[in-house]
Amino acid sequence: MNHERVIKGLGVSPGITVGPVYVMRAELPAITHRVISRDEVTDEVERLHQAIEVVGKQLEGLRQHTLDRAGVEEAKIFGAQIAMLKDEHFLGEVETLVRENLLTAERAFEFESLELRELWAQSSSATLQQRVSDLAGIQTRVLHALLGQSLEDVLHGAGDRPVIVVARELTPGLTVQLEQGKVTGLASEFGARTSHAAILARSLEIPCVMGLVGGIDRIHSGVDALLDGTRGVLLLDPTEEEIKEAYGREGLRIRLGRELEAVVDRAARTKDGSNVILRGNVDLPEEIESAIEHGAEGVGLFRTEFLVVGRTQLPGEDEQASFFERIGTRFAPHPVVIRSYDLGGDKFPAAFRTAPEANPFLGWRAIRVCLDQPDIMRTQIRAILRARASADVRLMLPLVTQIEEVMRTRELIGEAVEQLQKDGVPIGTDLPVGVMVETPAAAMMVEQLSECADFLSVGTNDLTQYTLAVDRGNARLADRFTPLHPAVVRLLKRVVDCGVRRGKDVSVCGEMASEPLSTLLLLGLGYRVLSSSPGALPLVRWLIRQVEIEATERAAAAALAASTNDEVTEALEHAMGEYVDLDLLEAGRLPVS
Amino acid sequence: MVVSVIERSVMVANRLGLHARPAAEFVKIASKFEADIKVSRDNMEVNGKSILGVMTLAAECGSTLVLQANGGDAEAAVEELAAMLATDFAEEI
Repeated sequence: MNHERVIKGLGVSPGITVGPVYVMRAELPAITHRVISRDEVTDEVERLHQAIEVVGKQLEGLRQHTLDRAGVEEAKIFGAQIAMLKDEHFLGEVETLVRENLLTAERAFEFESLELRELWAQSSSATLQQRVSDLAGIQTRVLHALLGQSLEDVLHGAGDRPVIVVARELTPGLTVQLEQGKVTGLASEFGARTSHAAILARSLEIPCVMGLVGGIDRIHSGVDALLDGTRGVLLLDPTEEEIKEAYGREGLRIRLGRELEAVVDRAARTKDGSNVILRGNVDLPEEIESAIEHGAEGVGLFRTEFLVVGRTQLPGEDEQASFFERIGTRFAPHPVVIRSYDLGGDKFPAAFRTAPEANPFLGWRAIRVCLDQPDIMRTQIRAILRARASADVRLMLPLVTQIEEVMRTRELIGEAVEQLQKDGVPIGTDLPVGVMVETPAAAMMVEQLSECADFLSVGTNDLTQYTLAVDRGNARLADRFTPLHPAVVRLLKRVVDCGVRRGKDVSVCGEMASEPLSTLLLLGLGYRVLSSSPGALPLVRWLIRQVEIEATERAAAAALAASTNDEVTEALEHAMGEYVDLDLLEAGRLPVS
Repeated sequence: MVVSVIERSVMVANRLGLHARPAAEFVKIASKFEADIKVSRDNMEVNGKSILGVMTLAAECGSTLVLQANGGDAEAAVEELAAMLATDFAEEI
């Protein structure tokens, strides 16, 4: 394929469309610098307020339009835009510039809004950066209104055929104004999944690709293109074959999507009747609802790092306790497994910080930091004990390599229980403590660990990294980071066998639990509890319902006998092919973004 | 009229943070009150009745904001705003 024709971005609204491109160059109007006289001030301020009124009506119209076409939540985007437009504090500043610096209304408005755009664009918050296009949309409208121009029909001159609109930036107003039928796809340089324009494109079901960085200067209006909102690609001058292939893949994706949707509420039970428990991994609070919607039976890995990152102090006991209680209650009656901080020494707030290390992954991190600075651990333990008074929350320890780490944690728990009881604080005293098996040391010592731990959970990403001595963040080693390496397969077998023998809960909470071939292996090895990111749960559930345990066991036996990665993969693919259309499975695989 | 200054720290509970739509809601409540309302996060302080200001704080879920109200109805204002921030007014999108 000629790579000049391929412009890559980020798929933010799925689907395929083919047609001519219309490149839209909606730039902000140029404002000439002019100073007004003192006598003109009152009129100028009046003109500003009239323009705000006019734009307010336009936005109200868009809000109504969106309410009809998309929905209540989508329409709120424009409710917020109206509030932004009529911000009294902001307009007060603009007015001051007119009154005191004798600027024209448009100059003053432009000055204030540019300052704000700058501030937002430089923010460390990705969400706020995404809101810059909302601001730009409002700004364009107000300036047009002040200049007495109407925002011309953006598609004027696009011709009669439906087009794929390509713009530097898609504002929410623009997205809903584009008439369905006339526009079959959207693409832009700026923006990401959480942009308001992306949200609107998804609810209007228009394929959309954003983040075509530096790409749009190469595109001219009228050229034919294929827009793939699923994979995030704009392909110029597509061949018949490419179009056919894309639609074929899209058809499979839609079919798979329907199949996944149909089983969201069904049990994760294999064809021959083995039940699997599916839990969600939650990194950020916003994933809680997503995990529930995707049918998670509890949380197999609740990462607490987000509580710390970017803060000047560690969160206190009360804050953590109320958070843990909230998430625990939300998933009742299912458990929520809370992992103590899995951070390097450099990620903690200043008071706990240390110098950068040569090998941070082999360094002072996770359980090591938390036990060396026991106040960090005590606070988390006390918060979890308090949350356990009303919810099934459990504690899990990351990067365990020594039995002593589990024993020491248990001592801290004992002390905390005693103290909290003495103070009359309601707690749940029977806190289960689990070990994350993510180092070869833990996998080899799993018998001893399971004597002092209540449950085991395999973190496959780190287990792979530490077993194979491959840094998973190193792009040059990407093809050597292979969770299906025979050494990893053997360790996985060792852990599950021990759990089953000793009657301890044993689960997998790494990415292997969401990758189809690996899922098949895990089932065959004997794992019956899997925890994956919420978005992957429907596919895993569907897959489990397609296969028979007996066949997965045969595949796992072959994988255990294998001596190369390829032999492991072949054994699993062979078994998978017996139950699942591999092309269909491939269509469900989204590009890593 | 008794003028009072009320200050309180509140953790943002909304899972998506205090972004555009919740910020609009916040400002709507703040504007009902006579009192001057300031909101600050770390070293940034903004006018609590300005949606653009509140959005600039970029307060994500779990972050702590300090509310400060100055005026006759300061206590009621802080009360209502704190309650709003502490609620996870979950949205669909």
